[in-house]
This record gives sequence, structure tokens and C-alpha cells, in this order.
Amino acid sequence: MASVTSQSGESHAGGTSAVPAPAFLSRSAPDSFVGGSRPSQAVATLSPIKWLGVSGGLGTLALLTFVACLGFGTETISFPKVAALLAQGPFAEGAMQNAPHYIILWQVRVPRVLLAFMVGGSLAAVGASLQALLRNPLADPYVIGISSGAALGAAVAVLFGIGLSILGLSVLPVYAFLGALLALLIVYRIAVSYGSFSIHTLLLGGVVLNAIFSALILFLTTLADPYKASGMYAWLMGSLTGPDFPTVLVLAVYLLMGVAVLVSQTSSLNLLTLGEEAARSLGVEVERVKRVLFAAAALLTGSVVAFSGLIGFVGLIVPHAVRLVFGADHRLLLIASGMAGGIFLMLADTVARTLLSPTEIPVGVITALVGGPVFLYLLVRQRGRIVA
Amino acid sequence: MSERPETLKRQPPFVMDAVTFGFGRKETAAQAPALKNVSLTIAAGEVLGILGPNGSGKSTLLKILMRILIPQRGKVELFGQPHAVFSQSEISRRVAFVPQETQQAFPFTINEMVLMGRYPHHNRTWGLGWESSQDCAVAMQAMNDLGVSHLGARLITNVSGGERQRAVIARALAQEPEVLLLDEPTAFLDLHHQLEIARIIRRLNRERGLTVVLVSHDLNLASQYCDRLLLLREGEIATMGSPAEVIAVESLERVYGCSVLVDRHPQSGMPRVTLPV
Repeated sequence: MASVTSQSGESHAGGTSAVPAPAFLSRSAPDSFVGGSRPSQAVATLSPIKWLGVSGGLGTLALLTFVACLGFGTETISFPKVAALLAQGPFAEGAMQNAPHYIILWQVRVPRVLLAFMVGGSLAAVGASLQALLRNPLADPYVIGISSGAALGAAVAVLFGIGLSILGLSVLPVYAFLGALLALLIVYRIAVSYGSFSIHTLLLGGVVLNAIFSALILFLTTLADPYKASGMYAWLMGSLTGPDFPTVLVLAVYLLMGVAVLVSQTSSLNLLTLGEEAARSLGVEVERVKRVLFAAAALLTGSVVAFSGLIGFVGLIVPHAVRLVFGADHRLLLIASGMAGGIFLMLADTVARTLLSPTEIPVGVITALVGGPVFLYLLVRQRGRIVA
Repeated sequence: MSERPETLKRQPPFVMDAVTFGFGRKETAAQAPALKNVSLTIAAGEVLGILGPNGSGKSTLLKILMRILIPQRGKVELFGQPHAVFSQSEISRRVAFVPQETQQAFPFTINEMVLMGRYPHHNRTWGLGWESSQDCAVAMQAMNDLGVSHLGARLITNVSGGERQRAVIARALAQEPEVLLLDEPTAFLDLHHQLEIARIIRRLNRERGLTVVLVSHDLNLASQYCDRLLLLREGEIATMGSPAEVIAVESLERVYGCSVLVDRHPQSGMPRVTLPV
């Protein structure tokens, strides 16, 4: 118990990659700071220029993807035509106003592709933040039940028709926000209850939470009239169908606020990955930061779910891929994930619109078919790599 | 304790007065507190070792000093002022904490990990907390001190336990603290790395005047490297004093509830503990 070697954990030492002690260590003076290691002069760090470069680059890529996706659909529009129609602006007059391609482009595709970009970007940004907050690279608003919480909130509002609009604006996002917040608080409680965070506890908690919320939603749906119910099922599958411009603009306001708040907290997010105690010891006002993050994550998830239903796995695979390319620093990870998530969902939705055209596949089906296997792969590979 | 008059004049970093802390809800916390009525002054420039059986309140005491935990009763003063007047960042600029175990699920580089120690020095009213050249210089110095600068680009998830622990101590030094709190810094390390960490800690103390408070299960390492020891038993101070006073048969047997042998280290002459057959 009191011997010198008693505390060296064998299993722990065995789990880490064996790096042999360099020969110079043994030659160093016995009572020195670790002698002999080559002193170095520069520390690589994230500069604002790199940040702007990466976000600008990905932003440009997103813009190109946006224009490319506008051409595809039941009616294919050639790229030069898309460019010419875009150049007319949304308020063209005269003959152009009634041209079929002009209407398809400006009234159907632009709002829809824009919605896909915003929804994908928000889900990816929320995913990256939740992963840091819960210290779990497999966290995703859909997988851990935040989206179902939001869906329950929205379902309650729709089915009971309580105060659906104030001053003409839909308050559906408010109910979805409350549902998402409730789910987030429960999930966080589950995640911290074991002291050290366990990947599997969180995922199991998410599975059960999803089951409970789904059951409640189904229960509510059976109470509703059949017409409302079928609309509800379509929405739950995740769909980006038929947004109009005002809806997209309102959503844009909610989402921009949420993402801006998340981005502003990214240097604290980096420290939260160390755990609450370590973060506090490094000067993070943990309780305040957590409240801000909870609110922003619930706002984003709630707004997204209210408008587009349950779209899963975007928040998981996008931050994972971005981390492989740009590293773990959340200051870059969050904005890059936002852009990449937008690109990913624009592409996924284009596939959903065109694959079985004129029939549409719900975009949630596409993301689950792509993201689900990736999630399982990561789960298997994760085994033993993270001390749970 | 060695004679270092210049450090004795410095203000004590910590004064704890009748501190009681319990986990959980109010009633259970009051019934079975993790720390009971602890009064303690930590002198500037000393190495204080906190010892005791599992669950005796060692880590709790350390976390109270860092204000990670806030005691229900009693006072904690940091450099002569009540703990509560400081912001979290203000505390972190003067006191650094090395947790028992650092688990990291995300692929941060060692560079990024050490630069996290600059967080309390950042002005975050605008921007995302970009590091200045000053931040980088301090982090570089800390990494050179701990011999991890050549590992800067490696991922924290891919280095050995000893290297990770050195990187975490480098992060603590990057805070430019006056006090270093360490929770079992040598647990999970092999003999070579235990010795290395202990020597680094003592040099930081002797050469930079850093006040060190460390929690350890390793009585012999503590006896060698600490100026003063504090033995906790069920949340109360059982013995406090020089290693010779604390590492003694009667106090250890009373606290740990098992018989021990205490002799002298052949080189340093400090008390040494072994278990009887």
C-alpha cells in the first residue's frame, strides 16, 4: 500500500503507445528538469488569419455547392441558365416573372437549398458543441434525444394548437426550444451522474430518452385527426419540403443568433473537454458558460426541428470529418463544421430530390443511411481508446 | 524545513479557518462531511504533502483550495483576501491545479493543451481568445522546462502516460502561477517517471519559489520531497508537521489501521515506510 511502486497502474501504462525513453534522458544530470530535450522556439497556434482563411474557403465552397444544387431536381436547369436566372434577382418583372424556370428557381429551389444549408450547418455546429460539453465524440442532437425532445415540444403545440402565432410569427420554435432544453438537461444529468463521463451511459440514456419521447409523440398523434397525423409523420421523418422565403428568413435569424453564441464560446469549449473541474481550475466560469451553451444548443435544435423535423447524424459525422482535417481546436472546428454541415445537407437533399424523381425521399432517410453506418464504425473503433 | 528567510516573509498563499465541506444535499452533507473543521496555513515557498487513506478528504481539500468546491462552513483566504472576492480567472492566474488524471477524448496537440493554460490571461471581450506572442513564449518556456517541446505537434491521445503528465504540468506552469496544486501527480506512472515528476516539482519549488501542495498516496516519495506533511483521517487533521514527525509508527498505525515499519532512508536520512511480512 505504501510502497513506491504501488500506484503505477499496469493496465493504464499498457494502454498507451510505447514511446521509448530517449537515450539522452539517462545521460542528463540527475537533478535537472527533464534534461536533454531539444528546446524549441515556436509554438504553433491558431491565428485569426488562418481562421478567416478556412471559414472563407469553406464559405466559397458552400456558395459553389449552393449554385450547383439549384440546377438539379425534377426539372434540370443548366448551369448557365441558373446563373442567368439568379442574376435577375428575386423581384424580376414582366415576362421573366412568369417563366416556369424562374418560378421553380426562385420560389422553390432557392429557399429550399438555403434551408438545407442552414439546417445542416446548425446541426453540425450543435453536434460539435455537444460533443465538447458532454466530452463525447459520439454525441449528436438526434442520437442522444435532443431532437426528439424538440419534436415532442413542437408536436404538443401543433396538436393542441396552443398559441401558434404571435404577431403573425410562428411560435412553434419556442415550444421546440423548450422540449430541446428539457431533453438537454436530462441528458446532461445522465452524463455527469457517473462522475467520469462514460460514452456508453450517454448513448444508452439517449436511446431510452428517444424511446420515451417517440412514444409520447405517437400517443399524441393517435389523439389527433388523421389528416394532421399524416402530416406529422412526414415531418418526423425529416424533410425540407416547401419552405417559403419569409419562413426561411425567420429561421435564419434564430439560427444566426444561435451559431454566433456558440462561436463566441469556443475557447471555453476547448477547456470544457478537460472536464468541469479542470476547466474551472483554468479560469472558466463553468456554470455561466454551460447555461449559455444549453440555451444556444436548444435554440438551434428547437428551430431546426420545428422547421424540418428529425434529421439525424449530421451533427456526428460532419464534426468528426472536420476534426480529422483541421484538428480539435473548437474555435476553428465550430465554424468549419457549420460550413461543412451546410454543404453536406445541401448535397444530401439534392440526392433526396433527384434519386427517385419525381418522388422525394425524406432527407432524414439519406442522412441516417450515410451517418448510421459511420456512427457504428466509430463506436466499434472507439472501444478501449477512450477511458470511460 | 530548510532555511529560506526571503520566502518566509511572503504572505501565506492560503489560510483555511474551520473549513467544513460535505457532498450531496444539505442534510447528508452535514451528517457525513468529507472535511471537518480543518484549519491550516500554507506558507509561501513550501512543499506541503497531503496524505491519508482513501476517502480521507485529500482531494476534497485540494479542490477547496482551487475553489472547485465551495465549503459549507469556514473561511478560505487566498493571499490574505476571502476566496469569494476573486473571479475564477483571477484565481487561475495565481493558482494552478494538476488533476489526478487527464482524460482527453479529442485529438488536441500538446501545443494546444499547454496553451490552454493561457486562458485565464486572455481578454475575451472581443475575438475568440487568440494567443498573443507573449502567450506562445510563456507556453514554450513551460514546455521546455518539462521537456515536452519536441512533442508539441503530437496528439495528447497518442503520447505515453509520463509525457501526458509532463504536458499537463507544463499547462499549469503556462498559467504563471504562484501556487501549484497537484492531485496524485505520480499515480499511474512507472518508477522512472515518478522520480522524474518528483524532481521537477522540487526544482520548481527551489528555483522559482513556487509554493507546492500535493496529494499523494506514496508516503516515501512524500517524505523525500515535501517540507511539511499533513495526515488526514476521516476528514480531520490527524497529524501535521515535518516528515520526521508525521511519518512515525504510531501516527501511521492510528490513521491507516495497519502495522507499519519505519526506518531511515540510507541516503537522505528521511523516514521510510515498509510493511511488515
